[in-house]
Amino acid sequence: MTHSLNEIEALCKRAGRGSGLPWGLAEEAAKGARWLSAFGLPGAEKLADLLELNDRIPAIDVSPVSLSAEIWHAPVRRMSPLIAGASLSDSATRLKERGSITMENVLFPLLTVPFMGGAALRLGTPVAVEWQDARLATDGHQLCLTASDDALGIGQADRLVFTTPAEMTGRKEPVLRATVSESDWSRLSAFAHRTFAPATEESRLKGAGAGTTDND
Amino acid sequence: MAEIAFRDPNLVMRLKRLGSLHQSRLSFMRILTRRMAREGWTFERRAFEIDDDGVGHAVYTAHGPERSYSLVAFAHDLPAEQRSDRVIAEAWDCTFTLHDGVPGSDDIERLSRNIPYQEAGRVTGKELSVSRANRSVRLWEHVVSSLASGVQPDARQIDAVGYLMRTTAVYGSGKLGAADREMIANRPEFASPFQAEMLSVFLTRWFVTELVQHMADVRARQTGREAAKLSVDLARSMGIGNSTGLGMAPFLLNHPVLFNNWIMAREKAIQAVRSVGRASASEVELFLELVERGKTTIKTWHSDHPIQIEKLASLREDVENVTRHLEDTDLSEPGAWNALYQWSEANLGEEGQEWIASLMTEPYGHLVDGFADEMAADNTATFRIAGAMTIADLRAILEDVYAWALNTDWARPENRARAWYVSEEKLEPRLGERFEEPIEDYEQPLAPGRDAAQLYTAVSHWPDEAQIADFLLRHPECRHTVRRTQIAKRAPYAEIRDNTISDQVLPIDMLRCKLSFFGATKFDPRSDRWVRICMYGNAPLPFELTGDNADYWVFPNARETAA
Repeated sequence: MTHSLNEIEALCKRAGRGSGLPWGLAEEAAKGARWLSAFGLPGAEKLADLLELNDRIPAIDVSPVSLSAEIWHAPVRRMSPLIAGASLSDSATRLKERGSITMENVLFPLLTVPFMGGAALRLGTPVAVEWQDARLATDGHQLCLTASDDALGIGQADRLVFTTPAEMTGRKEPVLRATVSESDWSRLSAFAHRTFAPATEESRLKGAGAGTTDND
Repeated sequence: MAEIAFRDPNLVMRLKRLGSLHQSRLSFMRILTRRMAREGWTFERRAFEIDDDGVGHAVYTAHGPERSYSLVAFAHDLPAEQRSDRVIAEAWDCTFTLHDGVPGSDDIERLSRNIPYQEAGRVTGKELSVSRANRSVRLWEHVVSSLASGVQPDARQIDAVGYLMRTTAVYGSGKLGAADREMIANRPEFASPFQAEMLSVFLTRWFVTELVQHMADVRARQTGREAAKLSVDLARSMGIGNSTGLGMAPFLLNHPVLFNNWIMAREKAIQAVRSVGRASASEVELFLELVERGKTTIKTWHSDHPIQIEKLASLREDVENVTRHLEDTDLSEPGAWNALYQWSEANLGEEGQEWIASLMTEPYGHLVDGFADEMAADNTATFRIAGAMTIADLRAILEDVYAWALNTDWARPENRARAWYVSEEKLEPRLGERFEEPIEDYEQPLAPGRDAAQLYTAVSHWPDEAQIADFLLRHPECRHTVRRTQIAKRAPYAEIRDNTISDQVLPIDMLRCKLSFFGATKFDPRSDRWVRICMYGNAPLPFELTGDNADYWVFPNARETAA
């Protein structure tokens, strides 16, 4: 069974929010999972892994201490790839000026890749990232990838180096359907469920404002 | 003549005005019927396998220049006590999907195991929408029994309801596994928003007239008689109802760029016509004819809801005002459209102003219809936050776009009395009382004004030259609102400039706004958060669609005027 990208995004947004992410980050986490899924990469799976690991942890503990530091690192030595990625996208012009941004101890580095797409679109030049033996580059539309599945799925990268401009070799076009395993779907659903208000008789009767009878 | 400016978002984007919008040339139903007529689409019934109890399936296919689309309809035998328009319903009189192409028997088999269950089923990238409909029990029985006894149904009873079935949800854009919009967005027939959904409703209406005939034939046969054939005139007078609840309201807030593009297209149309130097005699004649025909719609618009009763009274007063004004006005004078618009702002309520504004654009298809291609949105480019923007620039946008919100006292309970949330029951969107119900922890981000005021406070002690990127590192809770604010700078009509959580908020204003872009008329609120409308009433049935009747069908009771 395949999923639409919209379904993946909608579930991931709710899941991110359910894990305690602010709405804005949950939205970006969801767009990112969608973006990765469109390239056949395990965005939803890695997001589920991350949410389980960082469940309800305050954002400030897993954020870069400073964006002007030589090397970005988080106080607890396991940076959230969502916050790191969002900060990278926010710092697109800084990345261009510096030529590269290095981060240390980043969880699930694959989840930072969609944010490179955002930065690349803003700059109009491709952005690349390297960790261990993985190298990915994107112009925001297409993805170039040289990495083993193990490297892509790694739980933590000691060192991530983002660079721009970057060369695009061996382009991958996005596909518009994706598959999320049943177990990943239910892990994300468990987080998403936290965002739904329990049904009460009062809310059932009044909250949606339907009339007492629908027959005419 | 001085250049006519676009209308100020501070005027347009108030809830009361958005809740007074009327359909126009840029309504999605009319965009679709114009295209299908222009391109010579053809329509065929490919299957009608429905038994004497009204149970089975049917397939209706529309053939465009390059591609075909098929409505696959499933008819059910629904016990009366299960008939509900709520999202939380679990059974319906009929269920539908719009299939991309012509379905094979394997598709029909697959869909028959899924579509009748709606949210509990799954579809694939070959399906473009999923929907369901319930009968108007009263009118359905009247039409079946009349035809079965050999006579036509009573036109007055038909007019009183307007439809045989009403849809209670039409899901598109990837819902339940259907094709994402991106899969079809580059097809010309889907360049404008909601065209797949509008096509599914157009075909649904045709199916419903054939289903009611089938049921009348069955009943007549049981008594050894022959049923009357429903007259095409009566069939055409009926639309498809739609029962819309709260779910549609968050849509406008959740798609700010798309919403901007809808409003912007209509505002461009209004501006283009206000800028016309001198109207030709035929343009004036068409306008005056459509004013008269539009009056018929307003005359026969009925609602039992106190809010709409009051709005209708005001609109009817406006209509009389317009009638008197037009008697003394020469619309062939230079700048007459702009003068008429300015007169309406000074003399009419919002309902009347927006009625006239939409009507003015009618004679100007050549100026206006092209804007239909600008109404869709690709969110990718606007989703990224510009982190290098300075705090001073952010502050300036907030002061401009959200001035009303910065002047609102958010500490007062009445200004944040409500909260939007999603219920675990089928994920139904609901609106609750923040201070009376345990819902605040579940609040959805649907109060942009309050959030903008909070953002304004959060940046108040930051230096002007600081960058958004550094601010957001410390205030990730503001990312959502910073993004909206940056969007609103580029897209002036993206944001509703009103309080969406006050004790006075009327969600039906948002529903009416969205449904007016669909092309609905005769809005009939059932509560402050629930509205019924009719779609395609008086529209040509698929087999009679031509260039002569594709556009002005929405104006009743007069011969079709060629554009």
